[in-house]
Amino acid sequence: MSEEDVKEKGESDSWSAEQVHEVKKGDTLWKIAEHYYGDGSLYMKIFEANRNILKDPNLIKVGQKLKIP
Amino acid sequence: MRKIVLLSVLMVAIAGLILTGCSKVKGQAEAALKAAEKVIGEAKPEAEKIAPDQFKALEAALSGAKEKFGKGDYKAALSDAQAIPGKVKEMLESLKAKKDELTKTWTDLDQGLPKMMDSIKSRVGILSQSKKLPANLTKEKFEEAKSGFENALKEWETAKESFKGGKLAEAVTKGNTVKEKAVQVLQLLGMPVPAAAKS
Repeated sequence: MSEEDVKEKGESDSWSAEQVHEVKKGDTLWKIAEHYYGDGSLYMKIFEANRNILKDPNLIKVGQKLKIP
Repeated sequence: MRKIVLLSVLMVAIAGLILTGCSKVKGQAEAALKAAEKVIGEAKPEAEKIAPDQFKALEAALSGAKEKFGKGDYKAALSDAQAIPGKVKEMLESLKAKKDELTKTWTDLDQGLPKMMDSIKSRVGILSQSKKLPANLTKEKFEEAKSGFENALKEWETAKESFKGGKLAEAVTKGNTVKEKAVQVLQLLGMPVPAAAKS
């Protein structure tokens, strides 16, 4: 995953430092965890933070906005 | 001979007048200093907490007037001391607005900073479990971020203590320092800086 593939932005709350990742084609939670944490095996941290929109860690959709804890 | 006696009497009279005048000014200066000291003392409890810098300037003005009095410059001491009650009154009039402004800033910090700190805490916790740090974060930067975060947490506790003690200005100053430290940590970790923390 290149830097260009990763879209990062904060939440609308003016004090929130929460990072948001918009899922791009080819993304997996493992790749996203690798990008933000350097370690893909921590992908469950992202899954747990997004349980409200994700049912399965292997199923993410292009355009979904994931919180990166 | 008669002229000399007359001249001497005149000189003694003039000296007497001068001395009387000096003594009068000294008395006035003394009274003005006491009055200034009283108004400063009355303003102290509130002013020290809300506008400590303004209050220190007034205390310095009083010390300056006392110093002039001590050196025998009664006229200058009188003038300086007489100006103090007016300045104290001006400061007291501005305190309410200043207190409202500080209270608003503190409320923002108190509601916002914990959110920033929670985000940092969460990320530091996850990165501490990582076998390898992300490409944009060296081990040194991560250590710097961790110690910066610890310092910010400690400083935030002292800011809250200042607030509980009614030291509003001090609490806001410390809170702003925490905000700056937290922003530095966020930048080190490559996390977004919240809009409210940029101002």
